[in-house]
Amino acid sequence: MKPHPPRPGSRRGVLAGAAAGFGLLALRAMAALPAGNGARAKNIIFCFMDGGPSHVDTFDPKPMLKKHEGKAIGEDAVSKRSQSNAGRVWLGSPWEFRQRGQSGLWVSDLFPHLARVADKLCVVRSMVGELPLHGQQNLLLHTGRILGQAPSFGAWVSYGLGTENANLPGYVVLNNDWVPNGGLENFGNSFLPATHQATMFRAKGIPVDHITPSDSAPLQRRKLALLAAQDAAFAATTSDAAAIEAAIANYETAFRMQSVVPAVADIQGEPEAIRRLYGVDSADEQQRFYATQALRARRLVEAGVRFVEITCPSIDGNNSPWDQHGLLKRNHEKNARVTDQSVAALILDLEQRGLLDETIVLWAGEMGRTPHTPKITDTCGRDHHVNGYSIFLAGGGFRGGTAFGETDDFGNSVVHQPLDIHDIHATLLHRMGVDHEKLTFRHGGRDQRLTDVHGRVITELLV
Amino acid sequence: MSRWFCTIPALVLLPLLAPGQAPAADFFDAQVRPILENRCFECHSHGTKIKGGLALDSKSGWEKGGGSGPAIVPGKPEASLLIRAVSHAEKDLRMPPEEMLPLAEIALLKEWIRQGAPDPRVATTANADLRTSDPWKAEFQKRLDWWSLKPMGQTTGGTVDGWIKAAQRTAGLTLAPQAPPEVLRRRLSFVLTGLPPSAFDVPSPSFEAWVDALLASPHFGEHFARHWMDVVRYTDTYGYEWDNPAKGSHEYRDYLIRAFNDDTGFDQLVREQLAGDLLPEPRFHPAAGTNESLIGPMFYHMGEHRHGSSLAFNGIHQEMVNNKIDAFSKAFLASTVACARCHDHKLEAVSQRDYYALAALFTTPRWTSRVVDAPGRNEGAIAKLKELRDAIREEIATLWTGTVAFEGPALKAWAAAHPASLKGIGAPLATPDDWPGMAAEWRKKREAARKANEAFKPASLEGWVFEGEGFAHGRTGDGTPLIALEGGNILAGLLPAGWHSHALSSKLPGSLRMPPQHLVPGKFISLRTGGGGFGGHLTIDDHAFLNEPLSFYADPVPQWKSFADAVLKNGVQQVTVEFCTAPLNPNFPPRTGLAKGLKNDDPGHDKRSWISITDIVAHDTAGAPQDELDAFGSLHQNETAADPWERIATWFNDAVRRWCDRRTQAGDREVLEWLLAHGLLPNQAAVGSPLAGLVAEYRRVESGIAFPRTVNSMDEREVTPVKYPLNIRGNVDTPGELIGPASLEMLHGQGIGDRLALAESLLNPEHPLTARVYVNRVWQWIFGTGLVATPDDFGRLGDKPSHPGLLDWLAREFIREGWSTKQLVRRLVLSETFRQDSRRAPDSDPNNRLLSFYPTRRLEAESIRDSLLAVSGRLDPQPYGRPVLPYRVVEDGAKRLFSGPLDGNGRRSIYLQMSIMAPPKFLTGFNLPDLKLPTGRRDATNVPSQALILLNDPFVSAMARHWAGQLTQDPSTLPEQRIHRMFNQAFSREPDDEEVARWQAALQSFGGDVPAAWESLAHAFFNAKEFIHYR
Repeated sequence: MKPHPPRPGSRRGVLAGAAAGFGLLALRAMAALPAGNGARAKNIIFCFMDGGPSHVDTFDPKPMLKKHEGKAIGEDAVSKRSQSNAGRVWLGSPWEFRQRGQSGLWVSDLFPHLARVADKLCVVRSMVGELPLHGQQNLLLHTGRILGQAPSFGAWVSYGLGTENANLPGYVVLNNDWVPNGGLENFGNSFLPATHQATMFRAKGIPVDHITPSDSAPLQRRKLALLAAQDAAFAATTSDAAAIEAAIANYETAFRMQSVVPAVADIQGEPEAIRRLYGVDSADEQQRFYATQALRARRLVEAGVRFVEITCPSIDGNNSPWDQHGLLKRNHEKNARVTDQSVAALILDLEQRGLLDETIVLWAGEMGRTPHTPKITDTCGRDHHVNGYSIFLAGGGFRGGTAFGETDDFGNSVVHQPLDIHDIHATLLHRMGVDHEKLTFRHGGRDQRLTDVHGRVITELLV
Repeated sequence: MSRWFCTIPALVLLPLLAPGQAPAADFFDAQVRPILENRCFECHSHGTKIKGGLALDSKSGWEKGGGSGPAIVPGKPEASLLIRAVSHAEKDLRMPPEEMLPLAEIALLKEWIRQGAPDPRVATTANADLRTSDPWKAEFQKRLDWWSLKPMGQTTGGTVDGWIKAAQRTAGLTLAPQAPPEVLRRRLSFVLTGLPPSAFDVPSPSFEAWVDALLASPHFGEHFARHWMDVVRYTDTYGYEWDNPAKGSHEYRDYLIRAFNDDTGFDQLVREQLAGDLLPEPRFHPAAGTNESLIGPMFYHMGEHRHGSSLAFNGIHQEMVNNKIDAFSKAFLASTVACARCHDHKLEAVSQRDYYALAALFTTPRWTSRVVDAPGRNEGAIAKLKELRDAIREEIATLWTGTVAFEGPALKAWAAAHPASLKGIGAPLATPDDWPGMAAEWRKKREAARKANEAFKPASLEGWVFEGEGFAHGRTGDGTPLIALEGGNILAGLLPAGWHSHALSSKLPGSLRMPPQHLVPGKFISLRTGGGGFGGHLTIDDHAFLNEPLSFYADPVPQWKSFADAVLKNGVQQVTVEFCTAPLNPNFPPRTGLAKGLKNDDPGHDKRSWISITDIVAHDTAGAPQDELDAFGSLHQNETAADPWERIATWFNDAVRRWCDRRTQAGDREVLEWLLAHGLLPNQAAVGSPLAGLVAEYRRVESGIAFPRTVNSMDEREVTPVKYPLNIRGNVDTPGELIGPASLEMLHGQGIGDRLALAESLLNPEHPLTARVYVNRVWQWIFGTGLVATPDDFGRLGDKPSHPGLLDWLAREFIREGWSTKQLVRRLVLSETFRQDSRRAPDSDPNNRLLSFYPTRRLEAESIRDSLLAVSGRLDPQPYGRPVLPYRVVEDGAKRLFSGPLDGNGRRSIYLQMSIMAPPKFLTGFNLPDLKLPTGRRDATNVPSQALILLNDPFVSAMARHWAGQLTQDPSTLPEQRIHRMFNQAFSREPDDEEVARWQAALQSFGGDVPAAWESLAHAFFNAKEFIHYR
């Protein structure tokens, strides 16, 4: 595979071979798919819907639920992939579903903004997970293993494709120090080189730790000059001068990052129309956070960051934002208000800049929610469900305005085309021009893969 | 729109066959056989292959099924593996794997099974021969032929340098010249203590003296304990969703530090970490006052614990068991046994049975909290409290005998004034006029209760386990005084007969552990329990590691609680209950929100907590025993006085007198409690009276009792060995044969039945792995790379030893010297090999496997932070204690991710809280390992974010400021002298002239001899590569 031409301002040419992880062209070539596969996507923006939005209230309409609301689900509907027992009762959706856009894709009224970009969305309704638990599913979604102990998807992408901008990390997580279930391991590099771990951008305050110089620029420059001389002399006295020299080079990179990173995170200069599109100035603080991060995601992708993940702000101190075991209506609406507009804006904005073809937007929680509930009440909710749930992909060569796979009449289990997260990982890598079976790293005596021993490329999802 | 955008389920279009519509055999031949032949035979018939052991070309084929069991349950399509497989609804069970069958065909298969799966086909003869040969046996024998499973070499005599030089000679290499003294001092100091030499106030002695001084420093134990903590995946929290605290983790950390400082033999550490709870003679630490052996098994509790259990979600527990097996086999045997979870190991002589035998061994004990205080810690105080309680009782008896005499008229007047109190014991005071009715009603109720209570049998306590000083004094007698610990009252109450952890002090811990429910006679067990301060009970299935079914008692008066035998599912074999005070509850504090009233930022330790258990009964029908109304016995049986008020007075007087005479009978205590509660019995001591003195003394002695130290450890008393189901292909939903406890066959472990036997087997001097694996780790800690470069894998995927003879010789010497780590370390650092220079010879081997120079090493994360503290003068050398929270920019209270002080109060990094969910950021920046996994060897990566941390982290700036403050305290010191001092402190050497000039010039450029410029200079020292390396 041929490397992408460096974008303006890229330092890759200058710094290839330095210790920051750019010397990976050989590996990329190994894992690269043959050319002629259509234009490839270059970036992924992963909108992580932490906690598990309900599929039967968003993208998978099930009128039968309303019809049978309050009736017991029975033994046949019980599954280990669902918090279920025979005595629970079906619960209809509090939101209306409508066919949207030219394609007629069904989207519920919960997402008025996403409904307007329905023709861009490639919905998968047949996701199957392993266990209906946040920690396991988060790690599965991020690392391909329910135990974790493996690199995050973003780390793999960074490792496989390198970065296009030596002054920015290859994998960025936009959040506010919210630690999802499963821990920071969700964003870790594990056995991959440390340069591929996520750099966290905070929504509020200084976006990145350690990025604000503790000194004025001239003072820092003088310190670095002192250190350059001192360190060079030291390197000569050691058995491993190369490592010391690489560490010296890292100081130069770090120096530049101090200006590049805040600049790319700074959305002050964005035009009013764009700020409004995303909702950056919303009266709701949580929406402001999310909109800011969504807008930063676009800027980071433009600047050459391979993989950007946006997490959802926690509402009401909930452990995971979309986890509505109770108060489904009120709190799903809150989550939708926080995220819906910004995700739709991101898709529109990328499109109008001509970036949507090369940028994949992945919208996914770690699970869906049960189509049933213990008892119908004013405050009832839906519990954990991985036996068939919905995610969507947009841009990057995915087929918009379509829905893939099928759950039964109650949205309770997959009856057609079950997919698992490995299939999604494999397909996303495929669109990035990488063969998921060949993107490997030797660890523990094995050639490790993101998809472990699983994963199929689902070409039907692609244009 | 695409083909597959289909909203009409195909199912509704199918013409379904009703039963009886066609003769069964015809239906099979016409409809089912073609599906099986077309769709399944390619992989599941004798004509082709029999994948997974499943043949579908005969009835007996699917009856017998493959490795996952029978393929079809006649009459039950949903329960049939075949239907689950063809429905593609389960990720690991999709047949055919490539494409799902048309829904119409699946519907036909379901219908066939619903009809009872009539199948006219008979078995093929070949079927009987399936899977009879056992290729594993032969393969196993072949795999035993591997260096690390063979006996260690027998060479005696020699030196480290002899072995190293011999290997170098054959490669034409030599040792480098000896390193300069200042280089050596820095190297030695970091290798032995993780701190720079400036942290030690030792005047330039000889190298040998330096070695001995550093080995004797308490910082040696801290540094080596931290090495071992990587290997055992040390953590202070359990991670996952809520990051629950790992109870007593710091006690285990401190135990390791003490063990390395005391040079406790590694053999003893193996014994204690694997089976310290089983040692007939546990090891006590005189200074710490701890039962060290009992702390050891917290080794198992390290790593991630996920809340919930297999009864709630199958699969969670098994994942954790995998982590335990992985940690054990890597830490002690450098073997990858965990790979044999789903199948026999692909490369090593480890079978799937081996894996599950270890699982059985490790899940046999209760994984619960133990009191690790050495026995007798509170012995004196407890004896004194008993004595004082007795004396107080005597004084009260005297007081009551002398002053209490109830009389009818006074009681009548009292009753008239207190109508609201005339309930319970007081009820007869409300209706004295209807005496016969009241007595009859009492007799009726008493009779009914006695009859009902026949269904409840006192439970035998066989198999029940008590723990803790709170229960050590046994059952207290009925009416034992509970002394009030504060306030004006003498008595907080009178205790019913039973076990009361707080009978003497609510600081004393107590736990009662029930045998598995199905082993206790009766379908129900009921206990009358009460408590407070987060005392309660915990329900545990299959000795799961982090149980969430918790109940905290808020009622000090014991109430009946019934436990029905749980319905076992998901392969769970036993459910048990522990009744415990908070310190002995292994999941206390639980995740935030589960312990009502406990604030998120309250770690929940050192609090009063108690439980009472008065009665335990077994029964077969639901319900609980009824009150037999003993309290009214003497009231209604006493016929002497005609006046009801006199009868009541006599009733009260008799109860008081019997208590004073220590003749208390059933029911008296309730009467006395009622009288006390209503102020009808004196409960105050006159100022200056002997009674007041006794109460004050009781409170003084009680306040001196220490809160218990408890640690998540093991309790194997009164348990039956577990048989763990082999999970076919690792799938938790297909449990197979039950495997009993044993160790690895390749290490002749078949006969090993408990963890102590396991530990002793590892300590056999001829064991091929234990000593080799450990000396290799120590070698790596000293030299950077092990003789085997893969310290956690001595198998076929690991590296082979660079110096096999040296490894074996060292291992044998190590055993001969009593498994002494310090002797081993001393031997290594006194070698020429250790003392050689770090300059690489021009033609040295690229990876330096032959050690022709000492490698340049980057400091480990902790040493970088500790050096900042030590050099700046901020280091607080205080050892031990509860973890210090790391500094955090944003807190998350729900997960207890609170922030600690920026500089961690100057404490060494080993004392920072290791949270799996969010470990200390400064340390993770420099390759702190994953806290969930055993890590024998750390990475030392080199990335720009490390430069950003050292340049811009406020902690580094704060340390620079602190250092500059120390340096400039004496204004008379010349800048040049200060620069000399800084070189010595930061780099452990004198600067040369050029360097002095360079740093002086820099000082000028930073603003000259002013505090801010010194701070900048200090900051530059911290950012120099030399600061984070040694040679």
